[in-house]
Amino acid sequence: MRLPALAALLLAAAAPAAARDQLNLFAWSEYVPQKVIDGFTAETGTEVNYETFSSNEEMISKLVAGHGDYDLVQPSDYAAEALIKAGLLAPLDPAQLRNRDNLDPAFRHLPHDPAERYTVPYMAGTVGLCINTAVVTAPVTGYADVFQPRFAGRIVVLNDNREIVSWALATLGLPPNQITPQTLAQVRPVIARWVKLVKVFDSDSPKTALLNGDVDLGVVWSGEAAILWKQDHKYRYVLPREGAHQYIDCLAIPVGAPHPAAAHRFIDYLLRPEVSKLISDEFPYTNPNAAARKLLSPEQLSNPASYPPAGKLETFRDIGRLASAVDQLMTDIKSGQ
Amino acid sequence: MSGESNRAGPCAWLLLAPLLAWLAAFVVAPTAILVVYAFCQHDELGRVVYQFTFDNFARAADRVYLVIFARSIGYAALTTALCLAAGFPAAWHIARAPADRRRHLLLLVMIPFWTSFLIRTYAWMTILKQDGLLNGLLRAAGLIPAPLELLYTPGAVTLGLVYTYLPFMILPIYASAEKLDGALLEAAQDLGAGPWRIFPTVVFPLAWPGIAAGLLLVFVPAIGMFAVTDLMGGGRIPLIGNVIQNQFTQARDWPFGAALGVVFLALFAAAFAVLRRARPAVP
Repeated sequence: MRLPALAALLLAAAAPAAARDQLNLFAWSEYVPQKVIDGFTAETGTEVNYETFSSNEEMISKLVAGHGDYDLVQPSDYAAEALIKAGLLAPLDPAQLRNRDNLDPAFRHLPHDPAERYTVPYMAGTVGLCINTAVVTAPVTGYADVFQPRFAGRIVVLNDNREIVSWALATLGLPPNQITPQTLAQVRPVIARWVKLVKVFDSDSPKTALLNGDVDLGVVWSGEAAILWKQDHKYRYVLPREGAHQYIDCLAIPVGAPHPAAAHRFIDYLLRPEVSKLISDEFPYTNPNAAARKLLSPEQLSNPASYPPAGKLETFRDIGRLASAVDQLMTDIKSGQ
Repeated sequence: MSGESNRAGPCAWLLLAPLLAWLAAFVVAPTAILVVYAFCQHDELGRVVYQFTFDNFARAADRVYLVIFARSIGYAALTTALCLAAGFPAAWHIARAPADRRRHLLLLVMIPFWTSFLIRTYAWMTILKQDGLLNGLLRAAGLIPAPLELLYTPGAVTLGLVYTYLPFMILPIYASAEKLDGALLEAAQDLGAGPWRIFPTVVFPLAWPGIAAGLLLVFVPAIGMFAVTDLMGGGRIPLIGNVIQNQFTQARDWPFGAALGVVFLALFAAAFAVLRRARPAVP
């Protein structure tokens, strides 16, 4: 009598768990608000397992190792391109993504996925100049204005070799994606001059050095500059006149994802204006969702780091094995100073 | 060694099995993977391609990386020397203190371990930054007219390394010094040796096992450290730890990272061999 009762109890406990749909989300840390995830679970009953990464390379290496069983990943433009080229992303079903039309046309048919077969933009950002105008009063509008001898030891830049190379290419009037052994040789003397002037290389939290007063200006992620601006309007964000890097973080479904239907549902849920607004409330990146932008406050829309005035923007393309050459160049320059 | 047979019976092997399994899984296997990867190539996505090449080692022998190896060894050696200079007197003092005071002093050495290493490093940044505690204190006391440049300098890196690894020098030396029989020091004194004679001929040789352990425990991790250089040095001067880290992240070049790791491992083996031979003879 007791045993069947126990079995019934176990079955009752197991049944809802088995019926409950699951979604394994592999996304950037500090990027998907818990409120958004909870809202999705409440509405659909789908349990979301949120695993995080802190760089595209980390995400790629875990994905290719194939141990994750991920349903939804969040690569940036060039990483998505590399994954598409390697055949690691599954085509999306447009019929299940009706909210895609909420996106701003500027964020559709992007160079890494022109036919929109594999990716949907999540949030975007730029890399630009952040200036503490309480200290630096001279106009700073381009990379060439930042890397001047008079700012020696007062500059912070991202500790990201590809970024630095792309800025140097821009000052030479070359496209940021034109990375070849020849162009790397061309930018070498420029970067060698710059590196001597830089005080801090920091990709994780470049705002810290600015906030602490250890540096006065720099080249940082727009998200970091947006946070600084929210704290004190003396931190100004400017898109460099030579051209700026825009990164677009996307949502994509890996080949062999165990729950593709739930993944489609989640993408479509994130594309709803009111849900997308919740993301912008918590993380002040550039929201590619035009319908969601209409719901943002004037204060949010006036943050120049989130919504910079129009500039020359370009996304990164996959450079494959040349990533190694970029790394060697920067290591060599930094070491030889 | 006694003349009797010391061969292990099946029971001893059974007792050893967990340890052997642990060593095989967490020491032998990872090292084997590292060595295999070091001779492989990689594709666009950074996946390891199992095709033999010696290129990674040829590249590791490039001047760029040799300079970085030399600089890393320099920083680690300086850190070890400073830890020994600060750690030996501290360890000796703790070991010679009365029993209950000794417990308190040892606790003071261990307390920093209760807090995460990263939080302690950020605390140092708060002290050293331009508007930080130290500059504020010096300026309030009228000692300096303008804030000093403290953070993001080689000095800050060295300070961070010494701070992080000092307990690893103090604890093994303490363990050796505590066991040292005080009667031996008294005997040396009775025989007419002054403190300058006692230290090199009695104290140093007897404390050597602790000193050697301390040297290894500080030098080996200090050489591969990358977080301190990034946070307190501003990522300006690459050390070998930073270069290896980059291969596994930005550069997507695991085989080259593995080759640098293998070179690194060989250096440790050499350092270990040197230290084992350097044991001073007790006169």
